[in-house]
Amino acid sequence: MSLRAAVANRNLLYLLSLRELRTRYKKSVLGWAWSLLNPLSQMLIFSMIFLYVFEQVPTTGEPSGLKNFPLYFLCGLLPFNFFSIGIGVSIGQVQNGAGLIKKVQFPHEHLVFSVIVAQFVTLLIEMVVLTIAMLIGGNMVLPWLPPLLLVLALLALFTTGIALVLSSCNVFFHDVNYLWGILVQLLFYATPIIYDPANIDLDVLQKIANYGPTGSFVIAVRNIMYDLRMPGTGRLIQLVVLAFGSFLIGAWVFNRLSPRFAEEM
Amino acid sequence: MSTSANALEVDHVTKTFRIHREKTNSIKQLVAGKGRNRYDTFTALNDVSFEVREGEVFGVIGQNGSGKSTLLKCMAGILQPNKGRVSIHKRMSALLELGAGFHPELTGRENVFLNASILGMGRRDIAVRFDDIVEFAGLGAFIDSPVKTYSSGMYVRLAFAVAINVDPRLLIIDEILAVGDVTFQARCLEKFVEFRNDGRTIVLVTHDLASVKNMCDRAIWLRHGVITGEGDPSDLVEAYTEMMLGDRNRGADGSVRRGSGELQIDRVELFAGDNPEPVKRFRTGDDLLFRLHYHAESSVPRPIFGIEIEHLGGATVTTPCTRDIGLIPDVVRGHGVVDFAVKNVSLLPGTYDLHTSVTDFNRQHEYDMVHLALRFDVMSGRPYESSGIVTLRPEWTISES
Repeated sequence: MSLRAAVANRNLLYLLSLRELRTRYKKSVLGWAWSLLNPLSQMLIFSMIFLYVFEQVPTTGEPSGLKNFPLYFLCGLLPFNFFSIGIGVSIGQVQNGAGLIKKVQFPHEHLVFSVIVAQFVTLLIEMVVLTIAMLIGGNMVLPWLPPLLLVLALLALFTTGIALVLSSCNVFFHDVNYLWGILVQLLFYATPIIYDPANIDLDVLQKIANYGPTGSFVIAVRNIMYDLRMPGTGRLIQLVVLAFGSFLIGAWVFNRLSPRFAEEM
Repeated sequence: MSTSANALEVDHVTKTFRIHREKTNSIKQLVAGKGRNRYDTFTALNDVSFEVREGEVFGVIGQNGSGKSTLLKCMAGILQPNKGRVSIHKRMSALLELGAGFHPELTGRENVFLNASILGMGRRDIAVRFDDIVEFAGLGAFIDSPVKTYSSGMYVRLAFAVAINVDPRLLIIDEILAVGDVTFQARCLEKFVEFRNDGRTIVLVTHDLASVKNMCDRAIWLRHGVITGEGDPSDLVEAYTEMMLGDRNRGADGSVRRGSGELQIDRVELFAGDNPEPVKRFRTGDDLLFRLHYHAESSVPRPIFGIEIEHLGGATVTTPCTRDIGLIPDVVRGHGVVDFAVKNVSLLPGTYDLHTSVTDFNRQHEYDMVHLALRFDVMSGRPYESSGIVTLRPEWTISES
């Protein structure tokens, strides 16, 4: 996939993304509201468990002073959901495009890109809601939105890379799809969404939570939105390396495999 | 022949497929299978080379399984050849399937934009041509309804309208001119001729020999992945037809059979009047019964039985089939008969041949075709006419005014 071909076909990407968005909530009464209701219901459930079942004290934002579990939770859940849903939908996307791939020549990677773009639009809407909630909660997040966008863009790049690898491998081995179902559960708990890594005593687990790939993105988003401070330089470098590393590997694997798609389907 | 005048070059293209004995679609199988050597190699195209000159209408003919589709997909860039290369020198559009990528939930308008951009058009180009597309498809207000509400005719019409408006200089077509109703087919043909007169290049991959003969300037004949003949379409079609006839099973009575054979017509009997014995001749005005004895080894869903009666002189008299009257059995298995009764037959004296066909519901797949299943003679009866094939049973009157 040369960058030039991708740019030349940006119209196709735009229309495919539009198709993703338009068809997602067809035939549902609440439509787009579902994309907000889902994280909100998760927030309610986990807030109950965290605050009333386990009777934990929410982490205090430094230097913001914010002490609110639902907001703490959403800062982690929203980027994680983008990652997990984006990849979950992408995995089958190439295989589902068989009808197209076998009949028309077009840049196959756009099938994956379109999912990520559509999911990113959803994430941005969710972030708008979170921003409003933060303002109500007393966190002046408006000046922090530019660095937030930067981190989210890196997250999108990172997600795209993994989606490219998994969706192309899924054409050859359908196990990838099922494997991902298990992996995503593991990742959910390995990522500091419900908990604060500072509260983990076991050193190994704390390191995983702190420096795991998804954890890194979640912590960076939380630094910006909840704590109101820039993530450390080391953290930012880690994110850049993860994002570009993942994307380059993904593009390489996808390019190697995509000429064989039509035959394999 | 200078290179610059070529629209398309296929240069020593070889394409092989791996036929896995057991398809490894899971990692477990791959690991347990100890290596990946459990496949056979199948050569679909073997060292195929040809050139298509600019402005030419070029035909590719061949039987099913001759490599036509593979060649088409290699030209369209969907499959990558193992050896050799395909060079495209013009803006190319390949129509392998109409409406590939149509999404049922989206409206016609949304699908036009999506489909056209998949075929490689820019958004501005689509906007400019949008009205032409809707016009050509003849959809009117339906353009803003979801595609899933369209009839199949509307669906292909819209798809074809998009495809034809992509405005290619090189068009590769896979037997899709036969879509829609008769009016639409005529418009497609018109468009096709317009394309040709414009000096655009067309590659037609088909087993419709008549269209190759009528439209193409040059053709190749593929057989088992190898080019068997190249040149003038008429000569090629003739050679091809001869070979096809030779390939078929020729019965002792001169009948010729083809088809996949799940359901076969064993014999055809003809009864006339009250005679309980089968006959080979009858008179104009007799009551007839054609009885087709069939057998099916396995269950065959929704078969369509048809017959064709042809005058010895070559004129087709009638081609009725069970689909036309909506007589469609859900499933057929074992032995049975299909009766075709004609009261007061209108055929005039002469010799006629009867051919039978059994196809699937869409008339795409041939289970069994018997050419010359029965030959019979008609003798003069009532009404009598001295020449012609059928009588319209006219009532003459002559009056003075």
